[in-house]
Amino acid sequence: MDAPLAASGKVTPQPARAARWRTLAPYVLPIVVIAVLPLLPFVNNYIIAATVRALIFISLGQAWNIVAGIGGQLSLGHGVFLGLGCYTTGILFNRYGIPPWIGGWAGMLISLAVALVMGSMTLRMRGVFFALATVAVSLALVQIALHFVDLTGGGDGLALKFFGNSLWAMQSRAPAPFLYGSLAFVVAYYWITRWVLASDFGFAMQAVRDDEVAAAAAGVAVFRTKVTGFMLSAAMTALAAVLYMQFYMAIDPEAAFGLSQAIQLQLPALLGGLGTALGPVIGGAVMIFLSEVTNWGSTKLGINGVDILVYGLMLLAVILRAPKGIVGLVFKNALGGSSR
Amino acid sequence: MNTAAPALEVTAVSRNFGGVAALADVSFSVREGEVMGLIGPNGAGKSTLFEIVSGNLPPSAGRIAYFGADCTAQPSHLRRRAGMCRTFQKVRLFESMTVAQNIAVAASQCPTPGRSTRDEVDAILTQLRLEPLAARRPAALTLADRKRVEIGRAIAGHCRLLMLDESLSGLTHEEAEHLIGEVLALNRTRSITVIVVEHVLSVLAAMVQRLVVLNNGRLIADGTPREVAHDPVVIEAYLGKKHGALL
Repeated sequence: MDAPLAASGKVTPQPARAARWRTLAPYVLPIVVIAVLPLLPFVNNYIIAATVRALIFISLGQAWNIVAGIGGQLSLGHGVFLGLGCYTTGILFNRYGIPPWIGGWAGMLISLAVALVMGSMTLRMRGVFFALATVAVSLALVQIALHFVDLTGGGDGLALKFFGNSLWAMQSRAPAPFLYGSLAFVVAYYWITRWVLASDFGFAMQAVRDDEVAAAAAGVAVFRTKVTGFMLSAAMTALAAVLYMQFYMAIDPEAAFGLSQAIQLQLPALLGGLGTALGPVIGGAVMIFLSEVTNWGSTKLGINGVDILVYGLMLLAVILRAPKGIVGLVFKNALGGSSR
Repeated sequence: MNTAAPALEVTAVSRNFGGVAALADVSFSVREGEVMGLIGPNGAGKSTLFEIVSGNLPPSAGRIAYFGADCTAQPSHLRRRAGMCRTFQKVRLFESMTVAQNIAVAASQCPTPGRSTRDEVDAILTQLRLEPLAARRPAALTLADRKRVEIGRAIAGHCRLLMLDESLSGLTHEEAEHLIGEVLALNRTRSITVIVVEHVLSVLAAMVQRLVVLNNGRLIADGTPREVAHDPVVIEAYLGKKHGALL
């Protein structure tokens, strides 16, 4: 469309362009704010590191949201794919000198294979039985990781060899580079979720979530849809695990496959709003903010575990008062079909 | 696919639940383009037969053929993609999705050649007069509208055989008449063969060309509505003793 010409002869801004900017502003502004964070004088490494933690958990939460929020399959064992991603990256790097740029893809492929086998065995089960089956797999992997001490470091965990600032090794003494990496993950995963929600595949997943029998009667291949969603979620989790591993520099069986980690992966989507693209973003930010505040509070008070208590209370409050999460409170009709 | 073959052919189908025979040696066929009624008192085996034909329940014995092809072992989603469509006795819509999205699920999974999902959804919304409800979620609809949406989802995309499971129950006389008119219009305009399951004979008489009657898991009559209404075996099954005609 040609730009309208004002009486002065100057080209005035197009209404369409203004409308597009109003649409994009809520997405672009937070990205810009986070991107310039390291440049601000009052922002120290502690704040940047906390932001990186939030962004990593937003990515992991978004990945879990695909299978549980959109697909309705309550996987309580998604730590399996976080652990496989972390261990694969770490072992390939420490033992064979393969950088995480390549190791991450290997972790993703292994996770895809495990998700295919695990999904094929468990996704015919419904509701609580599927959830329990995923817990069983993650508990089994804790034991396997503890058993193969030479490979995984056993209970002591696996620490990455540190090379200092190295792009090849994806390592940095300062948290700022991870800020940009994790921000890229959040943006990419947000758009993947939006794409899934608006796609035929996403409609099929939501149909299966709502009613499997009716979905089959509408032509949806229920089992294949569930397995594909599970594999997509697993691949996204394993890929985000590279960032987790490189940022924390170590992993142990409990941090990888443990149930408390599995709950942390779920909280962003549960708090923010299951089945929405925006939910895990809001939920992850709130979770890490409260975690930092309660950590600070528990240090001041000298009481350990206050953050876990707060997680539990947050979960209880969401389940009782806002089952559609924060997004559901703010946006009407946030669940199902909405691509927010 | 053999187009001269019946749309549906049920041959010697039986189904046992433990020691109970829900269906015993039931056989009938439905011609392409026909509107057929399947009736019977409560517990006659109508729903069991419906679940077997649509692929949700395997038969203990017997064969189901769809346009000449054996589909006895075919899963329900593949039958749907081949054009065998159904509704449910208790309406089952995707509650988190809008009316248009409900229809879009089936339209995208069972595409009509040369027609986009959006065009198909728009066509169905128009034909069933659902456009004003397109953006609503099922919870906000009346029972009659929910049933129309379910029919819309059932016929979306490729549909050659539509099976309606007590779609008229719970509706007022006027709503039922409207729905019957819409189903008959689908039969004419889209050349869809229709099987209607009901337990009240009078409801179906004006709608169908042929009636099949089940009782205690067995087929007891097969004929025009008038023939069936005067069949003494059917009268006894419904009323328990000798009475006059049911219609």
